[in-house]
Amino acid sequence: MTRFMRLTRVATVAMLVISTTARADIAIVINDASSIRQISHSEAVNIFMGRYRRLPNDSVALPIDQAPLKARFYKALVQKDMAEINSYWARLVFSGRASPPQQAGTYEDLVDIVTHNNNALGYVDATQMPAHMHVLLTLSE
Amino acid sequence: MASLLTHFRSRLALRAAASIVLIVGVLGIGFLLLAVHLRAESEKDIQQLRLEGLISTVERTAQIACFLDDSQLAEEVAEGLLSNRIVREARLIRHDGTALADRVTAIDHGSGAPLTRTINSPFEPDKAVCKLTLVPDQDWIDSMVNDATRFLSVALVLQLLGIGLSVILVVFYFVTRPISDISQKLHAIEAETGKKLSPPSGHARDEIGRLVLSVNAMIDRLVSSLSEERRQRLAREVEERRYRTIFDNVEAGIFELDDQGWLLSANPAFCRLFLKGKTPDPAGPPIAFKTLASEGGPTTQELTSRRARRDSGREWEMAVGEGSERRWVNVMVSHLEKGRLQGVAHDITERRQAAEAAERLAVTDPLTGLGNRLGFERRLGIIERYCRLHPDRQHALMVLDFDHFKQVNDIYGHHAGDEVLRQIADMLRDISRRHDYPARLGGDEFVLLLDHQTPRTDLGGLAQRLVESINQPLTLEGGQQVQLGVSIGIAVLGSDTQDIQTLVYMADQAMYRAKREGRNTWRFHDHNTTLTSGSPLLSG
Repeated sequence: MTRFMRLTRVATVAMLVISTTARADIAIVINDASSIRQISHSEAVNIFMGRYRRLPNDSVALPIDQAPLKARFYKALVQKDMAEINSYWARLVFSGRASPPQQAGTYEDLVDIVTHNNNALGYVDATQMPAHMHVLLTLSE
Repeated sequence: MASLLTHFRSRLALRAAASIVLIVGVLGIGFLLLAVHLRAESEKDIQQLRLEGLISTVERTAQIACFLDDSQLAEEVAEGLLSNRIVREARLIRHDGTALADRVTAIDHGSGAPLTRTINSPFEPDKAVCKLTLVPDQDWIDSMVNDATRFLSVALVLQLLGIGLSVILVVFYFVTRPISDISQKLHAIEAETGKKLSPPSGHARDEIGRLVLSVNAMIDRLVSSLSEERRQRLAREVEERRYRTIFDNVEAGIFELDDQGWLLSANPAFCRLFLKGKTPDPAGPPIAFKTLASEGGPTTQELTSRRARRDSGREWEMAVGEGSERRWVNVMVSHLEKGRLQGVAHDITERRQAAEAAERLAVTDPLTGLGNRLGFERRLGIIERYCRLHPDRQHALMVLDFDHFKQVNDIYGHHAGDEVLRQIADMLRDISRRHDYPARLGGDEFVLLLDHQTPRTDLGGLAQRLVESINQPLTLEGGQQVQLGVSIGIAVLGSDTQDIQTLVYMADQAMYRAKREGRNTWRFHDHNTTLTSGSPLLSG
């Protein structure tokens, strides 16, 4: 049921994006060269929240944060604000078991990292889709 | 133990307190058991809530640890949980059943019911990542419950002690002390003086005060009845002393007998009369009333018969003692109560002697001291009755008649005549034996009534001696010599006649015959002699 709801929502969002492209969804993107075509929402959470750094094809996943979009991204991904996310990572600093994604200061930096690393995953505003990128998952806000 | 029991019985406060403590104790134990049960239940709930709280506290960290499969963090969480003593074991179990962390403390302690909570992913709330299980330390929970119970018990025991002590104090202060106070006062009070109890302070208007009022009213009644009784006793004592004085000092003898005739008590006058002044010894041998009399008096039968008991009072005259000490006593005995007779004894010796003297005087010739006519007639009457009973007994009567006595009077005077009569009387007295009766009937008429034992031949000798002794010349006081002659007639009762009057007549006739046949002689009655001549001596 929820899935159906979500599908409905996704379809609606897709229709909106197609029709207007004005409304900002966030897209998790990867280099076009990667063989990975898509990931599930759960896989996205696992990768970005440090549970494991592994792509579905068993290659290492390298999540990248993009500073201007970070708050929106995590809100969309796990419904948490930055304070919670920071507190989460702070708790894990000492165990060393997991580490936060690599930080990209700007959109350009992100594009640069993803362009040059086939295992890097980043997120962009759906309206600013760079070239040579493949959308793995679109998060609607 | 026994003294404790005595103490317990004798102390109201102690008993009341013990009863209350017992009741409160039984109720308290019931309440305590209930309270302990409820407390244990609630303690379990509390421990459950605490466990829940603990889990909630560590849930976020546990979520993260499970999400990241971070055993170090998981161990940290488990360690943190174990720092609570309520937790004996903390387990974080992955989905595949392997333990992410499992820490145990206090291995020797027992385990309680484990509490398990499913830990979800911190980012996807509908996705379970592992299970957190807490095993409580049952021993510690028990000790907590015990602590709570112990506190309750101690509180209850203290409360019981407090109640008991309060009851003792209250009972002692409000009941026991006033009561023992009253008791002591009552003990020390001298009721005769009319003193009253005062109520203990502060109890004037309550039940104790009313008790004191009642006691005072009772004392009043007691005192008044006591004084009344004392007054009556004094009156009775005075009365008794009066009667005792009368009893002791009265001239009449007063005595008491039992219904067998034994002497029970006697007053001094009685002792003087009957016992020669000796007081009967109560411890000595009993004295029978009958033995006190030497003559007369009631027999035991007379004293104790049913009729004697019925009659109000009967009298006897009895003699006590012998010889010159002989006394005559009038005894009046009346029935006092069952088995008890009361008697009064009067000394009537004087009266009796006076009566006897008067009697003697009446039958005595004052000149000669012999019997007179009245005495002679009485004696004749006695003899007549005697002969009627014993016809074989023969009494003889001698009638004396003097010759020429008239001349003596005429010549020498009446005084000399009296002298002669006295001397003749002496002769008659000399010749008389014990039971003979000489008498002067008047003038020179003498008779001699003889005892029945005298044989007829002796009668003749006796008469002859009498004639001879009278024939002897008599010397008067003046020195004159007088000679008298005498004629004696003799008749015998029983052989001559059976009739007294006839006897006298026959003796008279015999005397006249002696006179006719020569004087100065004596004659028996002769049947051949006519009985018509002469005049009877006993003409009245």
